[in-house]
Amino acid sequence: MDLVIDIADARVSNDNGATLVAYSLGSCIAVMLWDPAVRVGGLLHYMLPDSALSAEQAKAHPDMFADTGIPRLFRAAYELGATRENLIVKVAGGAQLLDDKGTFNIGKRNYVVLRKLFWRNGVLIDAENVGGSISRTVRLEVATGRVTIRSRSQEVEL
Amino acid sequence: MNTVDDIISQVQSLPPLPDTATKLFMIMNDPKSSVDEIVETVKYDQAITTEVLRLCNSAFIGLGRTVTSLKDAMLLLGSAKVLQMVMSVHANALLAREQAGYGLEPGALWRHSVAVALASSTFAQRLRLPNVSLAFTAGLLHDIGKVILNRYVADEFTEIVRRVSDEGLSFGEAEQQVLGFSHEEVGGIIAESWQLPDPIVRCIRYHHTPHLVDPPDDLVDTVYLATSLCLILGIGIGEDGLCYRADQDVMDRHALHEGDLEQQGMKILSELRDVEELFSAHAPRTGSANPACRSEQRQGP
Repeated sequence: MDLVIDIADARVSNDNGATLVAYSLGSCIAVMLWDPAVRVGGLLHYMLPDSALSAEQAKAHPDMFADTGIPRLFRAAYELGATRENLIVKVAGGAQLLDDKGTFNIGKRNYVVLRKLFWRNGVLIDAENVGGSISRTVRLEVATGRVTIRSRSQEVEL
Repeated sequence: MNTVDDIISQVQSLPPLPDTATKLFMIMNDPKSSVDEIVETVKYDQAITTEVLRLCNSAFIGLGRTVTSLKDAMLLLGSAKVLQMVMSVHANALLAREQAGYGLEPGALWRHSVAVALASSTFAQRLRLPNVSLAFTAGLLHDIGKVILNRYVADEFTEIVRRVSDEGLSFGEAEQQVLGFSHEEVGGIIAESWQLPDPIVRCIRYHHTPHLVDPPDDLVDTVYLATSLCLILGIGIGEDGLCYRADQDVMDRHALHEGDLEQQGMKILSELRDVEELFSAHAPRTGSANPACRSEQRQGP
């Protein structure tokens, strides 16, 4: 069963029949976690880098921002028995318009904040597919941890 | 028949804009028009009247009283809002279908169009433009050309993408080279054939290329900003992805910064969710209204 994770939303599951899906990522980023020992998967679909933009939105929709959403995703996975040592971390999205001057660089900033947060916490990214100007639909199968990315009518495994 | 002629004949076979919408545009562009005149125009259109009243009485509009007549709806909401509803109902019928050539599932183009319409309204307010309703309609119809160009893009998708990847073209530029028209140009032709007001035609035609409009046009800038933001947010976007050009000059002209885009993005997202609830029968994926990160425990045997 597909569980669709909309913009500014996240979900963690240990339902072996479930696939977590984020449709048509633009500059948004999908962070995907999977623990092979307990078969727990999680997906966060965040939109903006920094919750300092709006305290009100950060409170109502913490999954909108990298800095508030990412820690919540990890905590939710731990609550279902995942452990930090086992977690496989994959990242996709962060695209940009065709932009020589870096005017609309929300995608790049989304990615930079994620890297900083991971670096500070010693989290390694196992695989990533970020940047460019393509949109991406990502799927994470909870039973197997398999992640696929569909873009320009082609599907690749991450 | 070559592709260009074929595309033109397809445009001519599109259903016309309903009389109601055309008349409303004319009345609303006339500063002397009255609520009575507008009601007179809409009331013979059963489908639209029913839909307007349904929307007025929904929780989203939240008037706190039951609206039973069009006149009440106009007086309570303002005619601009009612025009937006009329246009949304009409656009839904055209835009809700799958556009496989662009990799858009059923409902995706409608969702994108409504998001751009909402974003165009908020940018029009931000830039203090006089006619927010015009911005809404232009945003709603900006991608109407995709409805026609869809099947031609499907046939030539590989070649279009090759030119985007290898030659650094935007998707619209590649469409133009391969098919003879970009979806923006086809949209402009459709809007002309519907006799929409010139400012709306211009917005549709230049929604990815505001630098081609001389002198610069605030309404075109507005729809350009709205479109770009919705691509960035990934709301109902297709295989053309973000392959369109960023334009720093538009930002500079209106003294906008990145933070402004982010603020508008948050605003649009919450408005879009409200509107999707209204049209929930047509919305393909509303996701979850619950923002909390949920954990799901499998039920044991």
